[in-house]
Amino acid sequence: MEFLVRTKQRISQFLKTLFKKRTCRIGIYGPPNAGKTTLANRIVRDWTGDAVGPVSEVPHETRRVRRKQDVTITGQNGNSLTFDIVDTPGVTTKIDYNEFIEYGFEKEEAVRRAREATEGVAEAMHWLREDIDGVIYMLDSTQDPFQQVNIMMVGIIESRKLPILIVGNKNDLPDASPARIKSAFPQHPVIAISSLEGTNMDELYEKMTAYFG
Amino acid sequence: MPHKCTQCGREFEDGSTVILKGCPSCDGKKFLYIREAERHDDVLKEKSIEEIALETGEDVLEVRDEGTKREIEIFERIESIRILAPGSYELNIEKLAKSEEVVVGLEKEGRYMVDILSMARRKK
Repeated sequence: MEFLVRTKQRISQFLKTLFKKRTCRIGIYGPPNAGKTTLANRIVRDWTGDAVGPVSEVPHETRRVRRKQDVTITGQNGNSLTFDIVDTPGVTTKIDYNEFIEYGFEKEEAVRRAREATEGVAEAMHWLREDIDGVIYMLDSTQDPFQQVNIMMVGIIESRKLPILIVGNKNDLPDASPARIKSAFPQHPVIAISSLEGTNMDELYEKMTAYFG
Repeated sequence: MPHKCTQCGREFEDGSTVILKGCPSCDGKKFLYIREAERHDDVLKEKSIEEIALETGEDVLEVRDEGTKREIEIFERIESIRILAPGSYELNIEKLAKSEEVVVGLEKEGRYMVDILSMARRKK
């Protein structure tokens, strides 16, 4: 009798590991310097006390994909969501080392950064193609959301049938316009935050648990 | 047909791109294409590679040292196509053959156009 019980336990354990869904992976995408890493750091710090990576004013600071596994957040509605957060390099169609020269880098370093940033775009797209289950698309609210790269990326994410939350960042700045972002992407939920100051994060967590859960 | 470094005798496979940066062992810049028949002459007949070069009359491949400002070689480049000037292109055949992701280099190193759509397609 005991033998039967044990076998049953073993089989159910085996089936559990076999069919266990891997943790949902949420990617933070968006153009360079939108504040993707600042947001990733905030989420990770809020819920695990850790950090994802360094941030700076220089665009393309994140040139490799970074991931923090098993972050659990809880919305005010009481719903929880456990996911891996994937912070990606800024996706853009044009990279010029002169952008870095403007920030005071030597030519050699600027050229190296431009090269790494280009490889970073390819890596971000690779993750989107293979490993991402939901997307936070992040925009700088002070910039024009109708840029071609944003329209194209949102289109690509839609065609992959991935859930997408649009986040308008930098709302602490005086010329921020989240309304402009809402008008650009009326088909998706838009949340206006400041990841630097941490405003409106509760709404973001609530939306995330409802949307990606 | 392999190459040998004329300085230290290290052997390299034919088509090896390593030697384009100079010999990794001794930093030598000259390499000899060596025939199978003479392949071990440097050891067996105690000849220097340069002597073998003289005897066989094969060309010695010399890697020119352009210092640290050397252009990045085409096989190390990340772009599939480089536009040197309007109407003048350089194709990176190896990259084009390996993947469908298109990165276009503009003029010199460090300026790129990225075709996001080509990167969004799922691999076949």
